[in-house]
Amino acid sequence: MRLFADLVASGIAIGAIYGLIAMGFAVIYKATGLANFAQGEMSMIVAYVAWTISTTLTGNVFVVVAGSIVFAVLLGLAVERFIMRPMLGEPIFSTVLVTIGVAVVLRSLITLVWDAYPHALNLGVGRDVVKMASVSLRGAQIASILTLLAVMGAFYLFFRFSKIGVAMRAVAADDRTALLMGVSAARIHAIAWGCSSAIAGIAGVLFALVYDLSPAMFQLGLKSFPASILGGLDSVIGSGFGGILIGVAENLAGGYVGSGLKDVAGFLMIIVILMVQPFGLFGEREIVRV
Amino acid sequence: MRYLIATALAALALHGAPAVAAEQGVTDTEILIGEVDPFTGPPALLGKAHSSGLKLAFAEANEAGVNGRKIKMISEDDGYVTARTLQGLRKVIDVDKVFSVVGISGSGQSIAAMPVLEKSGVPTIISSAPVSQIFEPARKNVFALGQVYTQGIKELTAFLADKFPGKKWGIVTQDDDYGLLVREGFDTIVKAKKLNVVYSGSYKKGQTDFASDMLRLKESGAEVFLAGGIISENVAMIKEMEKLAFKPAVGIFWPGRIEVVLKLAGPASDGLYAVDYVEPLAGPAGKAFVEQAKKHLTEAEMKGINRYTEAGYAAGRVLVEAFRKCGKALTRDCAISEIEKTKDLQTGVMAPISFGAGKRFSDQKVQIMQADFATLSYKPVK
Repeated sequence: MRLFADLVASGIAIGAIYGLIAMGFAVIYKATGLANFAQGEMSMIVAYVAWTISTTLTGNVFVVVAGSIVFAVLLGLAVERFIMRPMLGEPIFSTVLVTIGVAVVLRSLITLVWDAYPHALNLGVGRDVVKMASVSLRGAQIASILTLLAVMGAFYLFFRFSKIGVAMRAVAADDRTALLMGVSAARIHAIAWGCSSAIAGIAGVLFALVYDLSPAMFQLGLKSFPASILGGLDSVIGSGFGGILIGVAENLAGGYVGSGLKDVAGFLMIIVILMVQPFGLFGEREIVRV
Repeated sequence: MRYLIATALAALALHGAPAVAAEQGVTDTEILIGEVDPFTGPPALLGKAHSSGLKLAFAEANEAGVNGRKIKMISEDDGYVTARTLQGLRKVIDVDKVFSVVGISGSGQSIAAMPVLEKSGVPTIISSAPVSQIFEPARKNVFALGQVYTQGIKELTAFLADKFPGKKWGIVTQDDDYGLLVREGFDTIVKAKKLNVVYSGSYKKGQTDFASDMLRLKESGAEVFLAGGIISENVAMIKEMEKLAFKPAVGIFWPGRIEVVLKLAGPASDGLYAVDYVEPLAGPAGKAFVEQAKKHLTEAEMKGINRYTEAGYAAGRVLVEAFRKCGKALTRDCAISEIEKTKDLQTGVMAPISFGAGKRFSDQKVQIMQADFATLSYKPVK
């Protein structure tokens, strides 16, 4: 039982990070109908910027987090304005390939701007081990879980009650009708990219606090995309939940079946669930009139 | 008329006579050497450090020159991707026309490069990641400098088995050719010394979360653990064990025996056992090497100095010594013959280096060392 509790707790902790990045995928998909394959790389760049702030300006956790979020938003807006907006109206395949191109460029930036060494993001918090009953987690892991819950809650309120959230849902449902209603799709796209980048950045910083920074961090995106598919690519909150499921499934498979199955557990889960629920657990079923 | 024809024929004969063929990559003033290593992506910290070692050896040689020539190195980045290794290798050999090749990325990349190297005939030293497939069978122009993974793991396991007799063992290895070699060495000693292995796991390259692996290791009751990761993986495993308040005796292997591992893993890294064939930088020989390096390496290169710098330096020294012995008439055959004749070459960074007739592997002596977190260094175990 103790092993089970430990495995589930650790799974939720890593799953929370997958979940945050998966939510970033879903936000962009919901607003633009596009899967951004540079999500993991954006997360990594923001984490490296956080490390730069902490080692060159100040180690104050609030300043580092605030600075990283501001940078993340600017990065998202810049990618949208200068790379994605000119692609509007182009075939979806080309647009997705552009996001892969962005991913490769961002990945290369790490060794060009920083270096190939792993680095510890030391903000003086998050490294302490907190023991709850038989379960041990680091402070940053607990912070990841709480952050995921807070971001999920915030998005629920944003989509339900804010004007921009409702506009985003309208653009996702039918961008032409939304345009006729006076909603600026370009503005909504920019907001989606900014929000998505900010969430990815927060996930990157939390990940770096627990596992350190390294140029291999971009692989987080590869782990998180299945979470988004599982939760429903058009469901922001479902994607967050999908991350938790993937994290727990990985850990239980690794703990009870064998470490070789750890990496494929999430994908096996996706195969089974998508066969029953083709739009993911919380995705909206597409109804086409014929 | 007859005189004119004779003169014309003589001139034609002289002009048309084949000149003594100049050796590729060697001019009166320069010797070109090609290197292919990873300079981008996570393994760049190994490739860059290795390259710095070569740079240092050649800079030292260039102070006095090598029989009136200067050595110039052309480095190609393969990003640790085998296809790019072959591309880079073909470029330095066929386009840049280098005289000799050194380095060659990781073990898998070196093995894949063998047909290209053998066909080219360029004197080559593999010093980044020597494995037996490089020197078995022996190839005329390819030399492996260092020690093979299996031997290193055998010696580390045997040392830990003697130090901690009757204990329960655990091992986690990478799910690739590197992991298989580690496991091969480990299994040999397990069989020979009848060790009690209670946990054996593997992970896919790039794994960052080792929570389930370390929980299972702890549950198994392992008391001695061989962490078969490279850098980030070993750090993650050590930190995870710290989180679980689990403290077995831990052994790590030389690809990850770099000082940054200690810094990242924190106090939990204190007392880690490691094995290597190059000198620890905190030992007297290592300290002397660091001082020596300061003369020729930049500040950034000095920051990245690690065991791979020492390996690269030793490879560079072997080449320089061989070139020197060939004198002004530097040819491939001469260089290969002189590398083969290398006997007890002292480099200060590893045991004396020797090759021999038909012997293409230097078979360096290894030593066991232990991590000291307070000084972020490894110290030899007496």
